[in-house]
Amino acid sequence: MGDAPQIDPRSPRVRLMAFFDPGTFETITPEDDRGVLVGMGRVDGTPVVAFATDPTVQGGAMGRDGCRAIVAAYDRAFADSCPVVGIWHSGGARLREGVASLDGVGRVFAAMTRISGKVPQISIVLGPAAGGAAYGPALTDIVILGPEGRIFVTGPEVIRSVTGEQVDMLRLGGPDPHGRRSGVVHVVAESDTEAFAEGRRLAHLLGRQGSLDLDAVVDTDLGSLLPESSKRAYDVHPLVDGFLDEGTAIELHPKWAPNIVTVLGRLGGRTVGVVANNPLRLGGCLDATSAEKASRFVRMCDAFAVPLVVLVDVPGYLPGVGQEWDGVVRRGAKLLHAFAECVVPRVTVVTRKAYGGAFVAMNSASLGATRVFAWPGAEVAVMGSVAAVRVLHRRRLAEASDEEARAQLELELAAEHEVISGGIARAVEMGVVDEVVSPNRTRSRAAQVLLDTPGVRGAHGNIPL
Amino acid sequence: MTAEIRAEMVAQVHSVFVEAGAAVTAGDTVILLESMKMEIPVIVEIDGVVLEISVVPGDVVYEGDLLVTLASS
Repeated sequence: MGDAPQIDPRSPRVRLMAFFDPGTFETITPEDDRGVLVGMGRVDGTPVVAFATDPTVQGGAMGRDGCRAIVAAYDRAFADSCPVVGIWHSGGARLREGVASLDGVGRVFAAMTRISGKVPQISIVLGPAAGGAAYGPALTDIVILGPEGRIFVTGPEVIRSVTGEQVDMLRLGGPDPHGRRSGVVHVVAESDTEAFAEGRRLAHLLGRQGSLDLDAVVDTDLGSLLPESSKRAYDVHPLVDGFLDEGTAIELHPKWAPNIVTVLGRLGGRTVGVVANNPLRLGGCLDATSAEKASRFVRMCDAFAVPLVVLVDVPGYLPGVGQEWDGVVRRGAKLLHAFAECVVPRVTVVTRKAYGGAFVAMNSASLGATRVFAWPGAEVAVMGSVAAVRVLHRRRLAEASDEEARAQLELELAAEHEVISGGIARAVEMGVVDEVVSPNRTRSRAAQVLLDTPGVRGAHGNIPL
Repeated sequence: MTAEIRAEMVAQVHSVFVEAGAAVTAGDTVILLESMKMEIPVIVEIDGVVLEISVVPGDVVYEGDLLVTLASS
């Protein structure tokens, strides 16, 4: 301070000005030593409230007054019904203030929870965010981590003194552990500039969702993005990108539970959420972690009135002792719950296959899907036909003279089973699939359904599942 | 620097497309696994040279088993 001009690049004013549209930032709280600055501004014209902790004062630690400023930011965002963005760089509660700072931090958590699901909350973590400053972002809808961002409850010093374990901040709470392992962070950015840019895109997608313009939805042959062999796994990202308006996709949790893909983007100019199985990873199986990831995404979209499109190509739940002990039953149940309670328009597209319990979980008609499409040739069944005949005709197969005869018999029985179970036509007859849609009509058909379905939103918060 | 590619899930090795010493670029398929009635390609994420292939077709691999060791270029 003093005579020197304030040019610390970490100062809240500098960061908030970098975040907002040029010339739109106005402060709401005074710039003093409370360690938090709150302001309003615009993001591509959309009003947004934002605050930044001040790492130049006590390492950005949060005291009573700083916490009150954050609560004021939340009150303002709620009153104006606009997104609230937090820029975090903070060592946690102010030790010097003792319990008063803990009380303040708790009040921030309470404010975040009160507003949860009502206005979008985005966190951009640019430096250490420890203790209370870790749980602040964790309670919000979307967490973006800059290259210097480090999130942890207890730092390396404490870990070393308590358990003797040696670890640095990067390995403890940097982009790799939180991007791949913990699921704490939704978006990892290569630079602070990119972190702001991603925060702006997300604030705009959630804060100004736009209306769907059917004329702007051009059909393309999405089917060409699948491999020729129905057994071959493939990366689903080109399909998701091809479904959304060009250049609008932003993936959340790309490296955590990559067997399911959760993306926000636009369709005909309107914000939509896409959930898709990714056969390239774990064969696209659902497992405990991917079910949890998808259920949080579904509930977030539901709370903010974002319609959903679910692209299904799923062989089932990942079998194994590890999964059962990991709570695939409890955590998988979250996805059933999330879809069953979801009230936004939601369209399912079965592209290749949907088997068993995973078929139910992926926004089936039974869970209340607005409309279920299947591409021609898609398979909807309790299990694949070969697996089914192995169960249904176990004895007959066991009696086969040799391996070759058994394999031959299996194929014959499987073909017979497909005729009896009826394939996709039977699924349509039963009402579990509403309509067989050509891949090159999928965008416009899905858009039409979203347009025809009244927009409502779920009356619930967005607990960080 | 070396990088290890490990199996994500239980699978049978269907085919191996590279040998030790081969140069690979990010996006190349080095191994095809079979699991959940599907053929799942194992794709390298970096450019480099294959140091070692730890499996042969027909092997059953479990989650975490080493498949390929690469030297990044």
